[in-house]
Amino acid sequence: MNIWERMLNIDRRWIFLSIGVVSIIPFLTKIGLPVSTTEEVEDIFTYIDSLGKENAIFISFDFDPGTQAENMPMGVAVMRHAFHNHVPVFLTAYTPLGHGMAGGALDYVTRPSTPGYYTSVDFDEWADIRNAGITDRDELEAAWEEAGNVLPDDSHGWVFEGRDFVYLGYAPLFHLVILGMTSSIETQYPSDAHDNPLSEMPILREHKSLREVDLAVTTSGSSACTAWVIYGREKIGLPVAFGVTAVSATDYYPYIQSGQIIGQMGGLRGAAEYEVLLQQNGITETTDKAFTGMDVQSADHLLIIFFIIMGNIAYFMGGFHRKKQLKGGR
Amino acid sequence: MYEIIGIWVGAFFTLAIYSFLYKENPVYRLAEHLVVGISLGYTMAITYDVVLKPRLIEPLLAGGSWILLIPALLGLLYITRFISSIAWLSRYPIAFVLGTGMGVGFPLTMKSNVLRQLEAAMIPFYQEGMPWHMVLGNVVLVLGTLAALIYFFFSKPHKGFFFGTGSRIGIWIIMLGFGATFGFTVMGRISLLIGRIQYLLGDWLHLIE
Amino acid sequence: MKRTVPLMIVMVGGILMMVQYFIPHQYSQAVFDSYVSWAPIIAAFALILGVGSLTRVHAHKIRRKAENWQYSWAVLIPLYAMPVLAHIWPVSLSGGMDEPSIFHFLFMHIQVPIQATMFSMLAFYIASAAFRAFRAKSALATVLLLAAVIVMLGQVPIGDLIAKWFPQIGLWILRYPNLAAKRAIMLGVGFGILATNLKIIFGVERNWLGGAGK
Repeated sequence: MNIWERMLNIDRRWIFLSIGVVSIIPFLTKIGLPVSTTEEVEDIFTYIDSLGKENAIFISFDFDPGTQAENMPMGVAVMRHAFHNHVPVFLTAYTPLGHGMAGGALDYVTRPSTPGYYTSVDFDEWADIRNAGITDRDELEAAWEEAGNVLPDDSHGWVFEGRDFVYLGYAPLFHLVILGMTSSIETQYPSDAHDNPLSEMPILREHKSLREVDLAVTTSGSSACTAWVIYGREKIGLPVAFGVTAVSATDYYPYIQSGQIIGQMGGLRGAAEYEVLLQQNGITETTDKAFTGMDVQSADHLLIIFFIIMGNIAYFMGGFHRKKQLKGGR
Repeated sequence: MYEIIGIWVGAFFTLAIYSFLYKENPVYRLAEHLVVGISLGYTMAITYDVVLKPRLIEPLLAGGSWILLIPALLGLLYITRFISSIAWLSRYPIAFVLGTGMGVGFPLTMKSNVLRQLEAAMIPFYQEGMPWHMVLGNVVLVLGTLAALIYFFFSKPHKGFFFGTGSRIGIWIIMLGFGATFGFTVMGRISLLIGRIQYLLGDWLHLIE
Repeated sequence: MKRTVPLMIVMVGGILMMVQYFIPHQYSQAVFDSYVSWAPIIAAFALILGVGSLTRVHAHKIRRKAENWQYSWAVLIPLYAMPVLAHIWPVSLSGGMDEPSIFHFLFMHIQVPIQATMFSMLAFYIASAAFRAFRAKSALATVLLLAAVIVMLGQVPIGDLIAKWFPQIGLWILRYPNLAAKRAIMLGVGFGILATNLKIIFGVERNWLGGAGK
C-alpha cells in the first residue's frame, strides 16, 4: 500500500475528529468576521420594516427539531423585527413538531434570560383593559402601564397576547388550512394553542382572513414552504418570504426571480444576514446565534475544501483514476 | 432548576448520539428508540389537542354539529386496515383525502410551478443600463432553462443541433446547479453541527455566550 | 364496493374540487368550506395507522424476544405516555418555562436534542464524503466541483476576505445557471405531478388501492 492509498484509506474517525475540533476553536477565539448582506434577505427586511401596527404577518414554523439550528434563528429574527415595530404576528406550524418549535421560539424571544427579550403579557392578564374597550396598540400599552405595570430595564418592550401575537400552532393538512384561511382564520383555528378564544382577540378582529394579512414568512426545513406559494400566493396574491435550510435554498431561486416570493433567507447565512440588518438598523443591540456561528462556518468550509483538494491529489497522484479500485477503509 | 436539569439531560442525549461516530453502542440505541416513541407520542397529543378536541369532540358535545359524525366515521375506517377481512374499507378515507387533495392542488400547482415559471423564463436579455454580467446571466437563464429541459426530454434521441447540442449545454447548466446545491448542502450540514456545539459549549458548559 | 366505490370517490372528489376553483360561486365555496373543515378530522385519524403499525412491530419484537427487544420498550412507553402526560398534568401543550411539565420536558430536552444531533451528524459524513468521493474525474465533474467550491467560499465571511469576487461569482451562479437548472427541474416535476394527479383522479393509476383485499 503506497502513501496515497494509505492516505485515502485513513480511518474516517480522524476526519470526524478534525471537523469536531475545527468547529469548536472559532467559538473560543471569537473573531467575528463581518457578514455582508444580499438582496434576497434585504428585500424581506425592507418589506417588514415598512409595516406597522395596522398590518399583520404570519410566521410559520414549518420545520422539525432536526433543522432548528438553521430555521430557528430566522423565525426568532423576524419575530423580533415584528415585535419591535408592533406588527401583529400569527404563529403557525406545518407539522406537530413544528408546533413545539413555534412555542420554543416565542418562549426564547420572551424569556428574561434572553438578551433583548420582550415582556409577554398573557391574554387573560389584560382582560380588564380589553373589556374597557381599549384595543389600540398604543392606548393599550399606556393603559397597561397606567395600571402600575413597569417594564423591566433590560426588556425591549411589551408584547400583548391577542394584540401583538397569537400562537395558533399546528393544524393537519396545512395546505388546506392555508386555503381555508383565505376565507377565515377563525374557522381554521377555533382557539389558539393556549386555549384562548380567537373571537375575542383584537388581532383576529382586524385581520379576519389571509386577505387582510400583509406577509407570510415560512421557516421551513422541507418543501412545506412551497404550500404558502401554491395555496397562499397563487390563490389570493399573499406576499410570501422564505426562510429555508441551505440544502433546499438553491431550489427556490425560480420563485424569487418570478416574483412569487419577495425574498429568501438561505440557511444559517441567511439568518445571520437578517441579524446583521436588525443590528445595523438599531432594532437589536447585538447579533444572535446565527451570526456567532458564521466564523465556524468559514473554518469548516475551508477544512472541507482542503479535504476535497487532498482527496483529489491522492486520487490522481496514486493513479487510481486509471487503474485499480481502492480497498475500503473504515 | 427545571431548565438546568433539562439542559443536562439534553447534553447527555446529544453526546449519546455523537458516541455513534466512534462506535455503535447501547446508549445510542436507547436514544434512537426514544426519539421515535416521543415524536409519535407528541404528535398524538398535539393532534388530539388541536384537531380532535376543538374541531370534533367539543362541537359534538355542544350538540347541533352531528354532521361532523360523517368525517369522524370516515376517519375511523382507517382502523379497518388492521382487520384483514374488512381492510378494504380503509380505502374510503384514503380515496376521499387523495382525490380531493389532488383536485384542490391541480389548478394551483399548474399556475405556480408551471405557468408562472414559463412566464418568468421569457425575459428580455438586455434592457437599458443593464450591466454586462446581468445580460450574460439573462442569456444563461433563458437558454439554460431551455437546454436543461431538452436534456430531460427523453422522447427524442439527443442527436442533431437542437436536441444534441441543446442537451449537451443542458447538462453543463445542470452540473453548475448541482454544484451550487452541493456547496449549500455542505453549508447546511455544518450549520446543524454549529447548533449543537452552541448548545454544548453555551447552554450546557457556559464557555461561550 | 371494494374498488369501484373508492375509485368513484377519488374521481368525484377530484373533479368537484377542480371545478370549485374555476367557479367561485357561493355554493361551490360552501362545499369547499365544509370540505376544509372535514378533511383535517379525517386526516387526524390516519395517525392511528402509524401508531398501530409501530405498536405491532415492537410488541411483536418484545413477545418474540427478538434481537435488541429491550429497546422496543423505549419506543412503546413514551409513545403512550406522551398523550397521557399531556393531559393528566394539565398545562399548556405549548410549554414555556413558567409552566413546566413532564410532557414539555420530554419534548424540549429529549426529543429536540436527539433529533437535532442526529441531523447534525451529517456534517461529519459529508466531510468524509468530500475527502473520499468528490473527484474531478471528468470535465463535467470538475465543473460541479468548482461551482461547489466557489459557492462554499462565497457563502462564508472568509470568502469575502480571500477575494471579493468569490461571493459575487457565487451569487451569479445561484441567480442564473442554478436558477435555470432548478426551473427546468421544477417544470419537469410540475408536469409529472399534474399528469399523476390526472391519472389518479381518472382511475388510470390505481396503485394507491394497495393490497387491502381485492
